Amino acid sequence: MRRVALVAAGVTRFGARKAGLKDLIWEAGKAVFASNPRIRPQNIEGLVVGTVMPERTANQSHIASLAAECLGITPQKLSARTEHMCASGSVAIRYAYSFIASGLADLILVLGVEKLNLPNMDEALFNMGAGVDRDWEACYGVTAPPCFALAAQAHMAKYGTTEEQLALVSVKNHNHAKNNPYAHFQKGAELGQVLCSKMVATPLRLYMCSPITDGAAAVILASEERAKDLTERPVYILGSGQVVEGFSLASLHPDYSHWPPMKKAAADAYARAGVTAKEIDVAEVHDCFSIAEIIAYEELGFCEKGEGGEFVARGCSDYGGKVVVNPRGGLIGCGHPLGATGVAQAAEIYWQLRQEAGERQVPGARFGLTHNNSGMGEHLVVIYGAG
Amino acid sequence: MTDLYLRVNDPYPLESAAFNGLHEFYVQLRDGRLTTTRCRDCGKVYWPPRKFCPQCLSDGFDWMELPSEGRVHAFCVQEAGVPQGFRSPLVFGVIELAGLRIFSQILCADAKKIALGQKVRFKPIEVESEPGGERRFLHAFEPVGGDAL
Repeated sequence: MRRVALVAAGVTRFGARKAGLKDLIWEAGKAVFASNPRIRPQNIEGLVVGTVMPERTANQSHIASLAAECLGITPQKLSARTEHMCASGSVAIRYAYSFIASGLADLILVLGVEKLNLPNMDEALFNMGAGVDRDWEACYGVTAPPCFALAAQAHMAKYGTTEEQLALVSVKNHNHAKNNPYAHFQKGAELGQVLCSKMVATPLRLYMCSPITDGAAAVILASEERAKDLTERPVYILGSGQVVEGFSLASLHPDYSHWPPMKKAAADAYARAGVTAKEIDVAEVHDCFSIAEIIAYEELGFCEKGEGGEFVARGCSDYGGKVVVNPRGGLIGCGHPLGATGVAQAAEIYWQLRQEAGERQVPGARFGLTHNNSGMGEHLVVIYGAG
Repeated sequence: MTDLYLRVNDPYPLESAAFNGLHEFYVQLRDGRLTTTRCRDCGKVYWPPRKFCPQCLSDGFDWMELPSEGRVHAFCVQEAGVPQGFRSPLVFGVIELAGLRIFSQILCADAKKIALGQKVRFKPIEVESEPGGERRFLHAFEPVGGDAL
């Protein structure tokens, strides 16, 4: 396998945007090419677009070619779209990574884009039901919150994790997002505010949930040889892993506080990278709900199983702790434009490992990790290292 | 145009024989029976029903009736943010029944009365008919009074 590096990154402002699908594509394209003047659309050999539901939100399929035309890219080596619900962006990056590693192409642009907000908010929520089993789950009005609520309840019952610990994840991520000009929310949050916010699905309150967000992000991946010509500080993908074990709630591990496929995906990524959990300086993990970040600490090996609540309460996942988790604000602070999330996580790690993250910079960060999930049984982990 | 828009927004599966190979499940539901598929070759019982057995690779199956009572393995109450076409609060649960775990809605006016381990009983609910006019049903459960563990 050839080594692969990130050589450019750009994101749009996330939020309830006054923008359509193409507006977001143009904005992310402008940002990613602006980040590296040595690359022009005409140089891009391949395009992979991660997006989940433009068919529902914009009545638009055929997204890779649409995006290619928007950005002036004429792929000569490959073009594809990935859809894997909330992990679609990371799946797109992993496609591009393996295409380059295998020698199919040398320079690929990965775009993640999602326009979720619609004139009718209830329809936007309705669309999220497409991510669970229509026949056996979504038919009851199920979307993500009740699924992760079951994980939170199980974790609280088994390990004594508290509502306050769940809230502290939200406080941390909202406060991190204050330093991120691209985040959906930039006002920060206090503990009382989180604990008093509206109950969504017991025990998850509004501030413990990621919102319905529009946004796009793009990164450019290159073979090691091309990367050296394109930037003095490439950020290498050192390893990755993806494990899918169970789509519907009925087929998941019966203990919802226990996510074995995440542990396995991380183990594969760590082994391929030759890096251990202790060496990770900065991690972008999938806090779609605050419980997910607590379980991520455990399954990624940042702390022992069951100690995730304590980990955040002691500040171990914040600046000055053991590993800075979600410096850009996570999904809770930045919002979660499905297909864009994994790509925006990668962009953050790119900036962090190049020491370009400004106020969010984790001092001296050398190893970074991204984690995307698309349900409790489906996880993708990527490990990055500074050149 | 309005009718067409509502049709694409329909939250329920198409249950009629023309669109659904598990049509029989819904026929049984209508008649008040909760059923699932059992592999005709290796005997494995699945939930939800399915037409291919990954264990022995058979595509033969029989319908079997399940007991009507189970217990609550996990549940939560969704109080806000429910999709178009639904009204909160909604109680969702995973029901343990005959060694299976069945995700379902729990019909209950007062969610405070539900507890882990509580006994619940199967109850079919009728939802909007299909665009072709066929009646549609979903399975649900309701608490059996005073039996919380």
